Amino acid sequence: MTAPLALRGVTYRYPANQTPALREVSLDVRRGEVMALIGSVGAGASTLLLVAGDLAPRVMGGELTGTVERDGRAALLLPTPWTQLSGMAFSVHDEVAFGPANLGWTRERISASVERALTRVDVAHLRDRDPTTLSGGELQRVIFAGILAMEPDVLLLDEPTAELDPLAARSIWGLIRSLAQGGMAVVVATSDLDALPDMADRVAWLEAGAIRALGPAADVLIDPALEAPAAPGSTAIARVWRVAGLREPPPLTVSQTVERLR
Amino acid sequence: MRFLHPFTLFTLAVALPALAWILPAPWGAAGTFAVAMALLLTPGASPGWRVARTALLTAAPFWFFLYLLHGVGGMVPTGLRLSTMIASFVWLVAILPPARLVEAMVAAGWPVSAAFLFSATLQAVPALRERAQRLVDAQRCRGLATRGGPLVRLAALRALALPLVLSALHEVDERALALETRGLVPGARRTALAPPPDHWSERVLRWALVLGCAALVIWRVA
Repeated sequence: MTAPLALRGVTYRYPANQTPALREVSLDVRRGEVMALIGSVGAGASTLLLVAGDLAPRVMGGELTGTVERDGRAALLLPTPWTQLSGMAFSVHDEVAFGPANLGWTRERISASVERALTRVDVAHLRDRDPTTLSGGELQRVIFAGILAMEPDVLLLDEPTAELDPLAARSIWGLIRSLAQGGMAVVVATSDLDALPDMADRVAWLEAGAIRALGPAADVLIDPALEAPAAPGSTAIARVWRVAGLREPPPLTVSQTVERLR
Repeated sequence: MRFLHPFTLFTLAVALPALAWILPAPWGAAGTFAVAMALLLTPGASPGWRVARTALLTAAPFWFFLYLLHGVGGMVPTGLRLSTMIASFVWLVAILPPARLVEAMVAAGWPVSAAFLFSATLQAVPALRERAQRLVDAQRCRGLATRGGPLVRLAALRALALPLVLSALHEVDERALALETRGLVPGARRTALAPPPDHWSERVLRWALVLGCAALVIWRVA
């Protein structure tokens, strides 16, 4: 297994801010792996994605120590789809093609990649719509398709289901899982902890810019400390399990719960 | 005329007003205005009478103020020239989808940043209008009166302008990050997705219009 993304002792400060947003962060993300970043607001998950995507400090400014190694192209999906519209596309098809066109690919390659991405994210029916007329959920999926069309080696996702209804969110989590199975390395910052047991291979719990816990999802997500007041919280099933006073460790999925209750 | 290359349409729309000011008044301006109106009313060249009416309604106040300032003698030549400018611009906007012009710019090797600046500006207007409407709705929910006399409207404007400007500025950072991650970086060699065909005859026409205008300027100055 190679690591297309590796951070070694990374500390990062935003411009004009003395408090580091990341402190001594070290982690590898392997091909075919989904790494979830969890943490309360301000824990540093979004900043870690900016650093991993070579946007901080290169674009954001600030100061970084430590090393970030990337093997391949990284693409970042931000949580606010309306700020990610290219401004150069007047149809959904051209919006999705925006990134590949900027990479200077041939039209044939762009066309094939765009069609694949539109189909995978289930927005092919929107191809002729003006992107500025889409709903938040539609736009989020279109921007996701635009990122996928660039065929990144490392996919960085910041709250990718923030604008989606539960059904669409489940579909996106399934897609993320299948992208990893196809060999992509995926790092996703999310507050939807209930999705993680089925979706993430490993979970990094960030607290005040540092990694508090890093390991297999099944190990990190059963930590009772996740339910402390300043922590990101636990899965709904784990909370119910503990409130009911059942035996530790709690199950994380419905099927595990059924199994334990039998 | 929609099939013409965007640069040809653009050159026509610029050459007509230029000729209106270069050629002797009033006949030169009358001729260019007639051509501009003919373009507006030609079936297939624009959406037709509705667009022509927009151009005429936009020009009407200019005629009125020119009459007040200069009387009939001064109103006619300048009015015709201004009307040619307005009609040409309205025709161009009506006939040329911005996407085609952007594709033509990219295909012609213009810097991506120039093409981006052009199209993003066009898209920013409706986006800002929509955001302003959302702010109006939100502020009304919180009790702001936006209807009434001039003073009430002025007070409301202040309460709307500040969040509108601040939110737009806040988005600039995120938009820059999004464009970077999607490959829009200085020096990028962007692929034109659907470059419009540019026949040699159109290139000749464009150059003829440019050189013709230049020759007429020299003739008028000499």
